[in-house]
Amino acid sequence: MSDRGIVLAQARMAILVALRTPRTIIFTIAFPVVLLVLFNSIFTSSSETTTLPSDVKIGAASYFTAGIIAYAAALSTFTTLAVSLTTQRENGQLKRYRGTPMPPWTFIAGQIVRAEAQALAMAAILLAIGGVAYGVPVPASTFPAFLLYLLLGTATLCSLGIALSSFTPTPDAASTVAPFSIVILSFISGVWIPVDQLPQWLEAVGKLFPLYHLALGLQTTLAPGTVGSGLELGNVAALAIWALIGIRIATRRFKWEPQAAAA
Amino acid sequence: MSEVAISVRGLRKAYGENEAVAGVDFEVSAGEVFGFLGPNGAGKTTTIEILEGYRERSGGEVSVLGVDPGTPTRAWRERVGLVLQECELDPLWTVREAVSLFARFYSRPREVEETIDLVGLGEKRDARIGSLSGGQKRRADVALGIVGDPDLIFLDEPTTGFDPGARREAWNMIEGLKALGKTVFLTTHYMDEAQHLADRVAILRSGRIVAQGSTEEIAGAIGRSTVIAFELDGDLTIEEVRSTLGADVARVGDQVEAQSTDPQRDLYRLLTLAQRRDAELRGLEVRRPNLEDVFLELTREGS
Repeated sequence: MSDRGIVLAQARMAILVALRTPRTIIFTIAFPVVLLVLFNSIFTSSSETTTLPSDVKIGAASYFTAGIIAYAAALSTFTTLAVSLTTQRENGQLKRYRGTPMPPWTFIAGQIVRAEAQALAMAAILLAIGGVAYGVPVPASTFPAFLLYLLLGTATLCSLGIALSSFTPTPDAASTVAPFSIVILSFISGVWIPVDQLPQWLEAVGKLFPLYHLALGLQTTLAPGTVGSGLELGNVAALAIWALIGIRIATRRFKWEPQAAAA
Repeated sequence: MSEVAISVRGLRKAYGENEAVAGVDFEVSAGEVFGFLGPNGAGKTTTIEILEGYRERSGGEVSVLGVDPGTPTRAWRERVGLVLQECELDPLWTVREAVSLFARFYSRPREVEETIDLVGLGEKRDARIGSLSGGQKRRADVALGIVGDPDLIFLDEPTTGFDPGARREAWNMIEGLKALGKTVFLTTHYMDEAQHLADRVAILRSGRIVAQGSTEEIAGAIGRSTVIAFELDGDLTIEEVRSTLGADVARVGDQVEAQSTDPQRDLYRLLTLAQRRDAELRGLEVRRPNLEDVFLELTREGS
């Protein structure tokens, strides 16, 4: 059996597990959809606009749709990976894999394929709902950059989720820390509240973290007024730096054996 | 077969000051079932994890199927099957999904359905692992350990928590593996299990092997003999029994236990004595040396 076959088999198993876990379906799939509907129903009227840091005006519906795509991407990658890797490590499943001829990278790759597939599917669902129900346009000229932000951002969040799993000793710890940090960051990253309504210092804090740059990148590339490709060096660089940090921690600290029992 | 499957010489493993394994030597021949026994904390898990390629050793020579497990290769992993002690499977997988996944890791796996049948989970192949009983889960563990068709299988406490029926089925399965020519390295806390399944055993205590060989060899080596036990009756005294048998006789609870190296001769003498004195030897029994007694004696604190 080829290594690529192992990657796909691992991804398939991870998808099966996700679809058989009501909590995953509710929190990472249904919840962002509900939020999208709520935000667009409560906070926006079709005439309302907000101004991005790049001075481009964007309709409120587009703004929240892009922000919630970033939020859903974080849940699909960062949160789900941190929780599932911690769980599989602590119940001994990872140790068992290490006792087989399976190359270790194929397992990690399989988990990332699952995360990316889920994030992209969520983005497609949210874009479709935004377009159909709230008239959110998808500008063709900036769509390539939108996809690029989505791929780079989710890759970054995957690496950080894997890195986080090396710090969380139990599945409980992971399923507390990971979603909590995403919720907090969402407040200061322009996901739930436009950043121009935040005090400056809070926006400055948000800027330190990758979710801000993913949300801003998606919002910029979904704003019809954006000229050019929509790629901004600042966002790309911030995401890339966080990706490198995540990869470095993950490759150095990742453990295959249960940690709670050893301590 | 006298080909060597596992060879261990002078194995040591230290954690700081504490030496968990302090110079262990043994050999396992290809095709045999080898029982590796010892109380908790004796260094069993450390040793088995070194042999499995999970842990580095501090000293000594180890060869498993001709390879140093300190540097495990993919080709070597293809030939070694593991059934670990503490290892839950994802409860949301079905048995078939789990076995199919693991079959993909190997270049020449055993057929998935056949493997499921071999461990006796044929009726449960589409059941989720979370719905299985403890014994069935353990059998699923074993299925994952053997789906790669390994030459050597490590079974770490494979029947802990089983009811007697499940244990008997597991024994049949392990005997089936032996019949297929596999080498089995077995750890267990159940001495009857080791005695039933293992061709040879090694007993570990405080990081050292205190005995190894077949049950009979080990019992003989520590002077363990057959025990004749009974209750005294009438005015028959323990001194009379002792002088008649010329053997080690001791009172244990209500019973008298006589060590015997020749049970037939000693029984004859004992029954003759009882008949002459008109005594009834209630609860008379003859106990062959069993591994449990040997184990308890060898691993007793302070022995």
